[in-house]
Amino acid sequence: MDQRAIMDHQFVVAAYAITWILQLGYLAWLGAKWRAQQRASGNRRQS
Amino acid sequence: MKKIAIGLYVAVTVALMGWGYYQAIYVAPDEATMHEAQRIFYYHVPSAMVAFLFFAISLAGSIGFLSFRRSRPEWAQVSDAWALAGAEVGLVFCTVVLITGPLWGRRAWGIWWTWDARLTTTLVLWLIYTSYLLLRRFAAGPQVQTLAAVLGIFGALDVPIVYLSNRWWRTQHPAPVFGGGPDSGIKDPAMLRAFEWNVLAWLAWGLLILGLRYAVERRQQKIAAAEAQTALEEA
Repeated sequence: MDQRAIMDHQFVVAAYAITWILQLGYLAWLGAKWRAQQRASGNRRQS
Repeated sequence: MKKIAIGLYVAVTVALMGWGYYQAIYVAPDEATMHEAQRIFYYHVPSAMVAFLFFAISLAGSIGFLSFRRSRPEWAQVSDAWALAGAEVGLVFCTVVLITGPLWGRRAWGIWWTWDARLTTTLVLWLIYTSYLLLRRFAAGPQVQTLAAVLGIFGALDVPIVYLSNRWWRTQHPAPVFGGGPDSGIKDPAMLRAFEWNVLAWLAWGLLILGLRYAVERRQQKIAAAEAQTALEEA
């Protein structure tokens, strides 16, 4: 593999990895929000 | 039944994502001039398409909120939840576009960024929807939803400008892949298939998180309404 091909490969890996980190990070944030809402409505019902 | 349907949809989406990745990395051939770096295209372009679709959903929700806010408050709340979900998930995809684009540009052009019409209008679109979310997060009072709906409508006006920018002006950004004249389109069938699978996969993924974001917002609205009712009863 020449230097250019290695760099191309690294940039593709970076693009795909960043895409997935963003998407899964957002999904995790939504999941955390969903669970916080569930806890809040549970507390309301108890009180 | 609903849980089974959601589980099935999630399974199909995960399978599509895996298949799309396989097609983009292992099946599609290297492009002649850009070589492997061109594979960024299989995530970059579908993300842009999904972002545009979700900003359109946000536009429809904003118009719906302004239309129903006096006559049908429940419909207005549903519309507002769609407007917020569309804007937020659209912004996530737009962020992907603005990160993967410069990564590709660095390899293809030798620069990370240039102030050409396509890139600049996309950045403006990102800034508009970021301000939309900041408005919703930090402003208080009964007019926030109305102000956000107006901003959502004006923000969506930038979408056709972004789409047409590389037709209207001479840009560094590549010519339109589709609908750009007789020479546009992906000629290699394996590349076209990889692109189509990734469009389908990212659309399925986008709709999944859009639905989840909508459900979270509707729940938030119901919690806020219940809290307001409790406060009224206690007063």
